[in-house]
Amino acid sequence: MLYWDNLLNGRQKGAPGVMGSGAPLTTRPTDRRTKTPAMKPLALLLLLATVLVSSRLRPSAARPRDSRVFDGHGFESRLDEVLLKAGDDALSHLIGAEVLRFLRDHPTFHRGLLRVPLGRAARVDDDDDDDDDGGHEDAEFAAGELVDVSKRHEDPPISIDLTFHLLRNMIEMARIESQKEQAELNRKYLEEVGK
Amino acid sequence: MLVMEGQFSFIADHPQLNCAAFFIGEPNEVISIEYNAVNIDCAGGDFIKMFDGWVLKGEKFPSSQDHPFPLYERYVDYCQTGSTRRVVRSSQNVAMIFFRIHGTGSGFTITVTKLINPFPCNVISQTPEGSFTMVIPQQHKNCSFSIIYPVEIQIGELSLGHLNDFPLKRSVSGCAGAGDFVELLGGNGVDTSKMFPVADLCYSFNGPAQMKIGCDNTVVRMVSSGKFINRITFQYRLLHHHELEKLKGNNVEDFCFME
Repeated sequence: MLYWDNLLNGRQKGAPGVMGSGAPLTTRPTDRRTKTPAMKPLALLLLLATVLVSSRLRPSAARPRDSRVFDGHGFESRLDEVLLKAGDDALSHLIGAEVLRFLRDHPTFHRGLLRVPLGRAARVDDDDDDDDDGGHEDAEFAAGELVDVSKRHEDPPISIDLTFHLLRNMIEMARIESQKEQAELNRKYLEEVGK
Repeated sequence: MLVMEGQFSFIADHPQLNCAAFFIGEPNEVISIEYNAVNIDCAGGDFIKMFDGWVLKGEKFPSSQDHPFPLYERYVDYCQTGSTRRVVRSSQNVAMIFFRIHGTGSGFTITVTKLINPFPCNVISQTPEGSFTMVIPQQHKNCSFSIIYPVEIQIGELSLGHLNDFPLKRSVSGCAGAGDFVELLGGNGVDTSKMFPVADLCYSFNGPAQMKIGCDNTVVRMVSSGKFINRITFQYRLLHHHELEKLKGNNVEDFCFME
């Protein structure tokens, strides 16, 4: 029995559901009833302060020594996510700001980056950590690589706007011409053989 | 368009700013282009660039997913490589050159030869009818056989996932997650990554099994994990006008938009 599996159907069947991974930091309704009015804003304030302090640190360094501080309020399970996200966001923001500043000062790199495949753009040589100038050499290497790549991609992609109809006709004419040439060659060979 | 081997010259009698020459061979051939004499003004904006494949309306064949080299390596610019790369060889049975020549009397001479490719991977068929056997011998790659016509494809034999002739059982249902499969694609361009999948085949069988695809370009594409020897044998013939009309009438969705 022949089995035909339509890829589109397969995609529809296998379409993954989206699970919310970043639930808002809200307390459960039962928590609201048991807490005093001052507890909720105080807890949120403490959390916000923790996030701000940890924005330039590794998330593990900002984790409270005793995670039981937030026990019972549903924060513990979210703390790691928040700290990681905050750290990543802050770091990303800092890196992004620096990159934008660099690209504004060097527009040629910007054009090269636009044409560089993601895999190549992300590849940066990892120098040894014990080299004091490792960071500077990294930047120089990356800049050099970007220049090479931008040179390769300086010319715009070339293309011919040919319809399939024209293409088919061209192939057919080329084949007829080739067959005529081959027929002529065959005739000459036969003439030579006949002699 | 060139199908023949031989030496060819182009001399501009007036500025030629957007020109191209297409080369196509038999499915089991690759194209070799040798620059014999080049008289162009590179500094003045002239160029000759060979492309490993075909580019039509911005779409490339083979697609980036199916070609062994990255895009920038598929262009060979004579003005940059010069005499270091006098002979350039394609990876499949099609190749092309783009050139721009400003000066009258400037031009170039090239020699085109065809070499045998024992395991053709990406192919554009010269004809709307024919037959072909595609074999991927334990290589991790994707191969496409492109027929730039609306055709009926008849698959005679499909052998997937065989190692030393022992058929392997599939535990997954459907083709999702299969590392080795064949897909039939239809579309109006040459880039297989932008074409619509019409059918997936991920089980070995002995046919015949046929399907009519009323698109300007019909592709049989094999995805191979590299663990097995995969083989497909098929025939194809041009759809007649009345068959095309019938296909159009029977389909609710016409994903091949006619120009």
